[in-house]
Amino acid sequence: MSSIAIFYVFAVLISIVIAFVLAYFAGLTGGTKVDIDTARGEIARQPEYDSTVLEQDISAVVSEAVGSDERSKEIVKAVSGIVSGELKKKIEEQARSLGKKFEQVIEEKERSEERAWNKFKTVLREKKETEAVIRSIAEGLVVVNSKGSVIMMNPAAEKLLGTSSKQKSGKSIMSNLKSEQLVSMIKGSSGDEERTIEFASQSDDTKKILRASSAVIEDENGQTVGMVSMLSDITKQKELDRFKASFLSNISHELRTPLVAVDKAVSLIVDRTLGSVPEQQAELLTIAKRNLKRLTTLINDLLDLSKLEARKMALVYKTVSPAHLISESADNLEIWAKTKYIKIDKSLQDGLPDIEIDPDKITQVLTNLIGNSIKFTPQNGIITVSCVLGGKKSEIVISVEDTGIGISENDLPKLFDKFCQVGERTSNDIGGTGIGLSIAKEIVKLHGGEIWAESEKGKGARFIFTLPLKKPEA
Amino acid sequence: MGRKIKVLVADDEKDFIQLMTVWLESKGYSVQSVPDGQSAVKAVKEDPPDILFLDVNMPGMDGNKAIKKIRAFNKTIPIIIISACLDIFDIKTSARYNLSGVFYKGEDFDKGLELLQAALKSHKNLKNID
Repeated sequence: MSSIAIFYVFAVLISIVIAFVLAYFAGLTGGTKVDIDTARGEIARQPEYDSTVLEQDISAVVSEAVGSDERSKEIVKAVSGIVSGELKKKIEEQARSLGKKFEQVIEEKERSEERAWNKFKTVLREKKETEAVIRSIAEGLVVVNSKGSVIMMNPAAEKLLGTSSKQKSGKSIMSNLKSEQLVSMIKGSSGDEERTIEFASQSDDTKKILRASSAVIEDENGQTVGMVSMLSDITKQKELDRFKASFLSNISHELRTPLVAVDKAVSLIVDRTLGSVPEQQAELLTIAKRNLKRLTTLINDLLDLSKLEARKMALVYKTVSPAHLISESADNLEIWAKTKYIKIDKSLQDGLPDIEIDPDKITQVLTNLIGNSIKFTPQNGIITVSCVLGGKKSEIVISVEDTGIGISENDLPKLFDKFCQVGERTSNDIGGTGIGLSIAKEIVKLHGGEIWAESEKGKGARFIFTLPLKKPEA
Repeated sequence: MGRKIKVLVADDEKDFIQLMTVWLESKGYSVQSVPDGQSAVKAVKEDPPDILFLDVNMPGMDGNKAIKKIRAFNKTIPIIIISACLDIFDIKTSARYNLSGVFYKGEDFDKGLELLQAALKSHKNLKNID
């Protein structure tokens, strides 16, 4: 009976002791998230486990339960011996693993610091490289923020604008710059666009023409944070353009004078003005005359083109009957058409109103279109010139349709480009400059109309253009 | 048939004058020619022709100045401008100085003949001449 009681008491004691031990452990392992520095100190002063405290605690409990002092001392000694042994082992283990963990953490931290430093160095190098690239760009580069203050400006831009980035940095791009055009460049640009700015440079009296291509800078949320502008000096280019235009117009004029003299001289002989000419000689002179005409047309086209490019072609408006105009143009080409047995039909709507146009220029368009049709229509073909009222009676629609070789779908869009000649050329082709249609397009555009072509290879072509009834208001 | 109509041609290009002369003479006109504006003014003053063909672009006194000088003393003589450039002359100038038209060098001689005949017909003093 007494042995059972002892065992019972002993079991209770053991469980109490275990509870203590567990509680102790909990205190020891709790809160692993420690600051690294304090953790180091912590490891250094490894908790010296004090067995006397444990012994006192146990003896208090045991003596109370057992009653006999001697026995309880024995039990306490035995139990605390076991417990403290276990405890020491556990603590040492714990300390080791903690030490390892902290070492790992520190290593990890050092590594990440090194990585960050390397990254920083790379970014710095890349930044310097980018800056060097921007500095060496021949075109001017100006970056402004959303308030219009200059963030960056490369030396080329400084030179172009006659200012320095030190003067400008942080200041509004407009400050100290009198050029209103420049203001418009920064202010007026709503998006990606290109504009030409003419502005007088501050340092000297010369006028500069700059082209600015600007683009809005947006952050990842689509907010406008600034604008970047590329400036290039196109003064020379503009000068060259002007020179080219005046050269073309001068040379065309100079070329025409001798041509006219040759043409007139030949005409006087061919027309038998001064008496009869042997048939063979007349034939040769006819060839000379035909080719002179060709050369004259070519030069006139060039002159027209240079005028159109210089925007110097002025329209002389007159009120004319479209039917009359078409008939006249068609009649003028009748002789040429007859040589190929081509018939020119006219299909004109009744009661067409008079229109306000430059009759000479529109005749030029009609002559070009009908002439092309004759050129590209084989013998016995038919050309139909029609005119109807269209566009809610605000315009007339003129079309020239033929039964010729047609135009392939690929060639249609290029048709009105300068110097474009499509299709195979025939041996008896009278040739052309390839600018007739581009001139026609410009003339129609100047009148406020539109021109386009419809065709299918082998099925003839149809050229259509519209003209407003009234002169468009400037 | 009355007397021959007298045409004065003022142009600095000798070749063109010769061509004009051959052509006009072949059409039955009597032709006189001068190389510049100054001589044209002098000729009109001293021995007025029936009609004047006047080049715009001439060295010395050009066509425009010559027109003003001539119109200062002769308001009626028909003047036809000769021009190499299609758009050198505008309608306003032509109305102010009572010009009879512009003959472009590039155009056929027949066009020039049309202008000449129209000018002569509208001119009262020459109505009865062939």
